Amino acid sequence: MATVLIENLTKIYPPTLNHARQVQALGGLNMSITGNVFVAIVGPSGSGKTTLLNIVAGVERPTSGSVRALQEGVPAQIGYVFQEPRLLPWRTVVDNMLYVQDRKSDRSRREAEFYLQMVGLSEVADLYPSQLSAGMQQRVGIARAFLVNPDVLLLDEPFSHLDALTGRSLRDYLQRIWLQTRKTALFVTHDVTEAVELADRIIMLRPGGVAYDDIAITLPRPRRPADPAVRDVQDEVLRRFDAMGAAVRFGTAQAAR
Amino acid sequence: MSDIHAYQSLPGLRQHDSRPAAEGPLTMRGLLRRPWFIRLVAVGVLVFIWQWVTWVNTRVPGIDEIVRFMVTEMTGGSHGGALTGEFWEPLSLSLQRYAIGLAVGIPAGALLGLVIGASRWARGLFNDTVLVLLALPAVVWAFLASLWFGLSSAGPILAVILTAVPFVAVNLAAGVRNIDPGLVEMSRSYGVPAGRRLRHLLLGGTLPSAFTGLRLAFMTGWNSLLIVEWFGATSGVGWRARFWYDALRYPGFVAWIFLFVILITVFDRLLLSPLERRAFQWNQQPTLTFEEEL
Ligand SMILES: Nc1ncnc2c1ncn2[C@@H]1O[C@H](COP(=O)(O)OP(=O)(O)OP(=O)(O)O)[C@@H](O)[C@H]1O
Ligand SMILES: [Mg+2]
Repeated sequence: MATVLIENLTKIYPPTLNHARQVQALGGLNMSITGNVFVAIVGPSGSGKTTLLNIVAGVERPTSGSVRALQEGVPAQIGYVFQEPRLLPWRTVVDNMLYVQDRKSDRSRREAEFYLQMVGLSEVADLYPSQLSAGMQQRVGIARAFLVNPDVLLLDEPFSHLDALTGRSLRDYLQRIWLQTRKTALFVTHDVTEAVELADRIIMLRPGGVAYDDIAITLPRPRRPADPAVRDVQDEVLRRFDAMGAAVRFGTAQAAR
Repeated sequence: MSDIHAYQSLPGLRQHDSRPAAEGPLTMRGLLRRPWFIRLVAVGVLVFIWQWVTWVNTRVPGIDEIVRFMVTEMTGGSHGGALTGEFWEPLSLSLQRYAIGLAVGIPAGALLGLVIGASRWARGLFNDTVLVLLALPAVVWAFLASLWFGLSSAGPILAVILTAVPFVAVNLAAGVRNIDPGLVEMSRSYGVPAGRRLRHLLLGGTLPSAFTGLRLAFMTGWNSLLIVEWFGATSGVGWRARFWYDALRYPGFVAWIFLFVILITVFDRLLLSPLERRAFQWNQQPTLTFEEEL
C-alpha cells in the first residue's frame, strides 16, 4: 500500500531576473494520503499545485518541510502525467513508452501495447507523436504513466489543454482505468466539477499554497456528470470554492478553516 | 512507411504533408513542376550565359577548353613546354588534409559545443573565443600557418580544424540549450537512467542543430582549405588552381575551381543529405537544405 506524507511543506522561489520578488508557491502544507485513493487537488491558478506534484515527483526540491512517497516502506515508483504530453518528438509512440521503462524486451513492447489499447490507441504504436492529435498524444502520456506500474500516480491538469468534448471522453477513460487499477492518485485540476467526478477526496489550496479545505466525496462509481447526485455535490463543492475566493479577497481566508 | 498509410483513415490522425512531386503523365505543366526539370533548365541557362560571355570576352575560357584542359591534367598529358598534367596528387593530398581536419575538428567542436551548451560557466569561458574563430576569415589562417609551419600540410589541416570547430560547437551548444526542459523534467520524474537519456533525449534533441553544424563545417572547411592552399602551400587543389592562375592559364584555373565546387556539391548530395533525411524521418523537414544555402 502506498502512502504520501507531506509535512510542513514550503517552497519559496527566489527572485528572478524578470520577477524581483520571491514567490511563495507552497506555505507549510500538511497532508497524509494512504491507500488506493484518488485525491483531487484544486486551487486557483498559481496556488502551487504543479509545484506540489513536482516536489512529490522529485524534480523540484522543497525549501523546507518534507515529502515522502513510499510503497511498503521503500520509495514509491511514480507515474506522472503532465499538463502537456511531453513525448519525444523523434521517437515513435511505443519507443516513447519504453523510454521510461527499465527493460527493453518483447514483453515490454507487448505491455506497452496493452496500455495503449487501454486508452484506445492500439493502432498507433509505430507512429510519431506529430502524427497524432493532441488528445491522442495526451492518452499516450497516460498510458506511459501506467506502463511503469506506478505506486503513486501524479496527474497535472491532464485535460486542460484539450477541447471540452475530448476532455470529457478522456475523463471517462481515466475513470475506467482507475477503477481497474486503483492506483494511489494525486490529480491536480482547477475544475471543481472534474474533481467531483473523479475523486474520493478533494483538497483545496488557496493562493500561497496553503490548504483551505479537505472534502470527502463518497458518491458511488462510475459517476456520470449528468447524474443529479453528482450535480448536487458539485454545487456544494463549487460553493465552498467560491467562498474561499471571497475569503481570500477579504483577507479572512485563514479564519475560514 | 507502409504501415503509416494503413492508418490514414483513423479519426483524429494527422498526416504529414509528404509533398509528392506532381505525378501523372508527362505534360509540359507537369514537367515544370518537377524539381529535377527546373534544375536542369537552370543549369542549361547558366551554360548558355557562359558560352555567350566567352564569345563577347575572349579572356573567359569556354566550356570545351576547360574540359580539354582537365582531360590533359587527368591523363598527365602535355600542356605545352615542360608543363605536364597533374591531377591525382593534388586532389588526393587535399582530400587527405580535409579528412584529417574534419576528423579532428568535428569531434572537438562537438565536445566543445556540448560543454558550452550544458554549463553556464563554460559558456562564459569559451563563447567569445568561439565567436572570434567564427569571425576570422580563412586567409588569416593561411598567413599564420605559413608563418608557423612553413608551406607544409599543417597549415591547411589546421585551417580546416579551426573552421570546423566553431561551426559545430555553436550549433550544438544551441541545440543543447534548446532541449525542451519539460522533457528533461519528464525523464527525471521517471528516473530514466543517464545513458538512455543521453542516447534518446540529448542525441535526438540536438540532432537537427548538429546536422546544421556538420554541413556548415563541411562546406566552410573545404573553402578555407582552398584558400590556405592558395596562399600558403605548395601542393593541393588550391595550390594547383593558383599555379595556373599565376601562369595566366585561365582554363586551368577555372577547371580546378569547378572541380572544387563539384566536389563539395557531391559531398553534400551523396553523404550529408541522405544521412539527414534518414535522421529526420520523424518530421521529414531537413533543417538546412542545400538549396537554402545558395
Ligand atoms: N521555476 C519557477 N521559478 C519561479 N517561480 C515559480 C516557478 N515555478 C512556479 N513559480 C511560481 O510559483 C507559484 C505557483 O506555481 P505553480 O505552477 O505551482 O501553480 P499552479 O497551481 O500549478 O498554477 P496553474 O493552475 O496555473 O498551473 C506561481 O506564482 C508561479 O509564478
Ligand atoms: Mg500548474
